[in-house]
Amino acid sequence: MNEMTSGHTVKAYNQELETINGLVMELGGLGIDQLRRAVQTLKDEDTKAAGQVIDRDQKLNEIDIRADEEIIRLIAKRQPVAKDLRDILTVQKTIADLERVGDEARKIANLTIHFFDNGKTPPGNEILRDIYSMAEFVDEMLVQSLEAFSELDLHKALDVIKRDEKLYEEFRDALRRLSTFIMEDSRSVGHAVDIVLALRALERIGGHAKNIGGFVIFLVTGKDVRHEDLNIIAAEIADRL
Amino acid sequence: MDDVINQDGTVARELKTGTDAEVDMQSTNESQSRGTVGDIYVDDPRMTCRNVNVYYGDKQAIFDIDLDIGKNQVISMIGPSGCGKSTFLRCLNRMNDTIDVCKVTGQIKMDGQDIYDGALDVVPLRASVGMVFQKPNPFPKSIYDNIAYGPRIHGLSDDKQHLDEIVETSLKKAGLWEEVKDRLDQPGTGLSGGQQQRLCIARAIAVSPEVILMDEPCSALDPIATAKIEELIDELRENYTIAIVTHSMQQAARVSQRTAYFHLGKLIEVGETDQIFTAPKHRLTEDYITGRFG
Repeated sequence: MNEMTSGHTVKAYNQELETINGLVMELGGLGIDQLRRAVQTLKDEDTKAAGQVIDRDQKLNEIDIRADEEIIRLIAKRQPVAKDLRDILTVQKTIADLERVGDEARKIANLTIHFFDNGKTPPGNEILRDIYSMAEFVDEMLVQSLEAFSELDLHKALDVIKRDEKLYEEFRDALRRLSTFIMEDSRSVGHAVDIVLALRALERIGGHAKNIGGFVIFLVTGKDVRHEDLNIIAAEIADRL
Repeated sequence: MDDVINQDGTVARELKTGTDAEVDMQSTNESQSRGTVGDIYVDDPRMTCRNVNVYYGDKQAIFDIDLDIGKNQVISMIGPSGCGKSTFLRCLNRMNDTIDVCKVTGQIKMDGQDIYDGALDVVPLRASVGMVFQKPNPFPKSIYDNIAYGPRIHGLSDDKQHLDEIVETSLKKAGLWEEVKDRLDQPGTGLSGGQQQRLCIARAIAVSPEVILMDEPCSALDPIATAKIEELIDELRENYTIAIVTHSMQQAARVSQRTAYFHLGKLIEVGETDQIFTAPKHRLTEDYITGRFG
């Protein structure tokens, strides 16, 4: 329980806010786990485990729906204002982003099945390497965004937003390297297209982590920093850092 | 008007002309040090309150309040019981004069005129700054006479026809005309609670006020009557300045453009209602409106 959820005269209200905040952490944990497992299935060439990742996405969808139900009930019952209102809006938006993290992880698991269960020659480890390094990068971003949320940490929130710029550079570099593969061996075109989709999925996961960083800044400061330049964001929250 | 940051960190405003400007600037500097968070000023004030203190005997109830009340705006005053919001409201039409032990210091001006000026007649002041109370208090007279009473004693009507017009217009503005036009001769006390409150608002309107003060006007009403009063407040804003004290924070959020939060006799924070209810700047305001006040 943190300062966002605690302290109400009506204690049940604390509990209700705690519940929806808990759903963010639960969904976040599952999202990270799905990402790791999906990438692992690619490394292990394990199509069975990839199927499990795909099936498990339903659990994330259920949490998404449950969070919406709790939030609707909470708004109707408590008419939240100020930081309670910001907390509830932040939870709702964060949940939506985390659910999409699950969707992106599912895409990667689908790719495992596509690569290793279609009777064709699977891609070599070399061409997949960028997927693994980008997955590690977005994994850290996602963890950091959830820490920012649970600890109301503006430093971490800002850092995740900063890292998204670096992620985009990584994405562009990976695409460049893929072009080289294609130029060297035109038979790799089919795999390269699929790998682009995987890299794109990972880049989107980083984007969701960045969004969560922005929501945390809104939650703590009341300032909506989406679609703003990084320097402007840093200046706007400088007095709170 | 542009704020100017002084070297010592206080905020002054652009100089106007004449003595008033100097008073304004001086009081601005003081107000910043008095610690109200948010902008106490509006561009187009109907009333200006500076350094207002209220004492009941030895006990001080209101401390150093600076606040502008803007024309054609609704300002709501919120805060826990005993925070001084009603006491402050009652300063605005000198209702506190009726309490022997009550002493008000500081300056409250309406359209530039000091309302605590010893030479000022309080009767026309209370016509220009009308008041509606928590419990509807119609006179034990007919609906017609409830409205006509004020214009008669203030000499606002020349003849019966003019008085009829005032009564009709006031009741229409208060959204009550259609409900009572066929029974104007019946006692006002026979109306429902919500109708009685609108009758009291019509009575205040009948003497052509500039400002209407409302002290918890809906706390004795059911939700439907409350909604009607809130709708009425929004309509009245076009012609009047309204200051409302309410215990319902949702009501403050719904009806007002500015909100002032009082705590232990001090004005803690004032700002646009949208800002106060989404991102208040002061911890006490936030604790109060989110129900964390223990």
